[in-house]
Amino acid sequence: MQGFAVALQPVNLLWCLLGVILGTVVGILPGLAPSGTIAMLLPLTFAMNPAAAMIMLAGIYYGAKYGGSTTAILLNVPGESASVVTCLDGHQMARKGRAGPALGIAAIASFIAGTVGVLGLMLVAPPLARMALAFSSPEYFALMALGLAMVVLLAGRSMVKALLAMLVGLWISSIGTDPFSTTSRFIFGQLELLSGVDFVIAAIGLFAIGEVLACMEARGQGQLLPVPRGLRNLLPSVRDLKDCRFAFANGSVIGFLIGVLPGAGSTVASFISYGVEKAVSRRRDEFGQGVVEGVAAPEAANNSETGGALVPLLTLGIPGSATTAILLAALVLWGFKPGPLFISDNPALFWGLVASMYIGNAMLLVLNLPLVPLFAQVLRAPAHVLYPLVFGLSMVGVYSVSGSLFDLGLLAGFGLLGYLMRKLDYPAAPLILGLVLGGAMERALRQSLMMSEGSLSILATRPISAVMLSLALLILLIPLFNKANAWRLRALEQNDG
Amino acid sequence: MKRFGTPDFWSGLALAGLGTSIVAEAAQWEYLGQDGPGPGFFPLWYGIAMAVLSLGLVVSSVLRQPGVEDPIDWAKARRAFAAWLALVAAVAALELLGFLLAFAALVFFLVAVMYRRPPGVAAAVALASAAAFHGLFVLVLGVRLPTGMLGF
Amino acid sequence: MKLQAKQVALATVIALAGPGACAPAALAQGFKPTRPVEMVVHTGPGGGSDVLARAMAIMMEKENLLPVRMQVLNKPGGGGAVAAAYLAEKKGDENTIGLFTGVWLTGPLTSDKAKVTLKDLTPIARLVLEPALIAVKADAPYKTLADFIAAAKQNPGQLKQSGGSITSRDNVVRQLLQKNTGARWTYISFPGGGERIAALLGGHVNVMVIEPAEAGEHIRAGNMRVLAQVSDARLDGFPDVPTLKEAGFDVPVVPQVRGVVAPPEIPRQNVAYWEEVFRKLSQSAAWRKFLADNQFENGYQNAAEVTKFYGEFTDRMRGILQDAGIKTVR
Repeated sequence: MQGFAVALQPVNLLWCLLGVILGTVVGILPGLAPSGTIAMLLPLTFAMNPAAAMIMLAGIYYGAKYGGSTTAILLNVPGESASVVTCLDGHQMARKGRAGPALGIAAIASFIAGTVGVLGLMLVAPPLARMALAFSSPEYFALMALGLAMVVLLAGRSMVKALLAMLVGLWISSIGTDPFSTTSRFIFGQLELLSGVDFVIAAIGLFAIGEVLACMEARGQGQLLPVPRGLRNLLPSVRDLKDCRFAFANGSVIGFLIGVLPGAGSTVASFISYGVEKAVSRRRDEFGQGVVEGVAAPEAANNSETGGALVPLLTLGIPGSATTAILLAALVLWGFKPGPLFISDNPALFWGLVASMYIGNAMLLVLNLPLVPLFAQVLRAPAHVLYPLVFGLSMVGVYSVSGSLFDLGLLAGFGLLGYLMRKLDYPAAPLILGLVLGGAMERALRQSLMMSEGSLSILATRPISAVMLSLALLILLIPLFNKANAWRLRALEQNDG
Repeated sequence: MKRFGTPDFWSGLALAGLGTSIVAEAAQWEYLGQDGPGPGFFPLWYGIAMAVLSLGLVVSSVLRQPGVEDPIDWAKARRAFAAWLALVAAVAALELLGFLLAFAALVFFLVAVMYRRPPGVAAAVALASAAAFHGLFVLVLGVRLPTGMLGF
Repeated sequence: MKLQAKQVALATVIALAGPGACAPAALAQGFKPTRPVEMVVHTGPGGGSDVLARAMAIMMEKENLLPVRMQVLNKPGGGGAVAAAYLAEKKGDENTIGLFTGVWLTGPLTSDKAKVTLKDLTPIARLVLEPALIAVKADAPYKTLADFIAAAKQNPGQLKQSGGSITSRDNVVRQLLQKNTGARWTYISFPGGGERIAALLGGHVNVMVIEPAEAGEHIRAGNMRVLAQVSDARLDGFPDVPTLKEAGFDVPVVPQVRGVVAPPEIPRQNVAYWEEVFRKLSQSAAWRKFLADNQFENGYQNAAEVTKFYGEFTDRMRGILQDAGIKTVR
């Protein structure tokens, strides 16, 4: 309760508001990452009270997750790495004239999940952090394998093509220097590829540029996207909200738990939560064509993940991602010592932060919902204005990350690949999945084998990894079950007829 | 309708080629080292999987009933390629012209040539978008954008 | 002011010595940056060098050491290779400097793709030496480093250490100790510092080399125990922990270094200017406090000294890497 006393001070409320607004803007603009923005603002925070500064920076962090879905839904440009999954159904909803409900559900899911994340941080942080320590390379491997098994659920019509796309993703993820041996793999003599292909470049190229190129095929039509008409189509309906009940829950929980694991990442969380939602949904065959749960689940996951990622940061001083790393650096620069005793040493700061996160999430909901109809109007712009805009946003987004013209060339390359994949009917999501998880999975496997001195049994003897691997195996067998069922049904029909 | 030469056939073949070359590269690296799998381990396996699956795709595309797929509309594809080439040209010109000019040129091309709008409209859109990007990203957000020979 | 005199003296010497790069107007003033200075770092925002550079920028402003702002430019990739290449391209640029670390020195030893070595750039100064600690989990059976080495000797290859890449300082310490004692234990790379600590605290590895700033809180909370310090003299924060030498292991202390470089072919007077700026920084109160807070050692060396240091460091690293069986290409 003391926390609310801190958080509700007018000064802190103001900084919170500033932070969440800034975060939303950063999230909307592709390529602008919250970690970079926080880094830029660090010098300014020295003049501030640390609690206020932390409240603002945290606001940027979770605010960015709200904004990331906006361009994903409207333009198929993932504003943030975790928004890739939102592109899948979100943009399809926009193409059907349902951009408003998509944006609205994204905001609502983000709010619910963000609040759940803060609740988690408040209630179960220390014991959960200790449990998270039991997670190490074998468990990470199993988690990544579980994530990759989701490809089965993302497959669409051709399982073979989805698997091939995933394998290409795995290949791209191994471009770069192998950390265990300093061998450089698949870099084609390019210095810039030594640290691998940045996932953001691939995602923006495949999704955004690929989409624009595909749209360039049609000539001269003014508006290609149906404009939402009437208030009913500008916001999610009650029916939509009801459909998403499970998605909210599943996304919040999965996102938070995965966020607690240092290094797992919100992209994994969004994919897994999307996969789970698809697996249990009655409308599973419609996923990928604009189903509202397909937006709610990943959006919830990537928001509660921020709450989860703060758990190892604040309870153990261990940063799990680039953004938490810079928050850690900020705390250190201000003179704090993040670690196991941080919360007990600085109760006012911690509880003030927690309280401000509740307030911040509420602020974001209030800010974002009314903006939804406004944003949806973006799609009214004629194609010849909108698509060049997407090109520009993509280029600036990529360039602002690394300032490298080589990366822009890569962007163009991925754009062409995205277009070709569309034409040849290869799904892009499995490629992204492979790219995101491939490197982590390989590292985790090799680390595990080093831990066990070469024995694969480590994966089976440790309970957590054994459970997740079995789950992954089961998921992989689903298509076989389906095929067997289909055969059986056909055989029965033939017998009858 | 043809059995051979369908899109699946060619893409499968291309991927089989990629898979084989991955395996070839991976064979040069250490497969199993002293401390565990080496850099060649993963690439070897996913290279093999890629080659096998893509050959399967090729075979199934040949065995399938012809005429099942839509043929590729080459006219439309040409338009998309043209747009892509324009993007590549813009990226290549960035160092010379700087972002503002290169992007404005790209937009002009897209609006005038791809969307067949009158040159006046194209120029207006090009200038407006370049200015908007400059205003938002460079002035307000302080993001560095490439500047060309002319200094902007 | 002393600064002015030194500048004028240097400038006069250069002018007398022959055609130099100084314009007549500069002779009177010496070099001073007029546009914001960019400091290139090889990590992304939040990484070690990035944080240090930002802290330095803040301190410079507080102490009024520069007439202009200093901005941080992130050029991550290739273990420093991309940043080094970027600096090499900026020949003669007066407003760009870079923050180098040990990785910039060892990277080119193992990777032939890294075409730019520190010898190609203009050294300015060495700033900090970062010592490290050898730590185990608090409930581990090892009370001293000797205990751990003995256990490793009894079970060769079974004990595990978590650390960064295999050319990082963590592994170098391991290689040196292994060679010195004949013990052998496995090294597991984790890309992120957080994961390394989590691996140790979770009991998945037995030992790690950790920075004092990172370890401090875990020790205070009773989760970790420190066996030895990788440093020449005992750190203030750890008066009870023996150094490697005191613990009986006569291995060279290979520090993690950070310092400043400039692009190639910049005028001598610029070098002198930067040297002076960083010398003043390293003597300022704010800097001293920063070092104390982070438990860094002041390793200030000027341009001439640091050039010598490069040579010694790279030779020693080459030897260590070769002993470890890692292929060196230079």
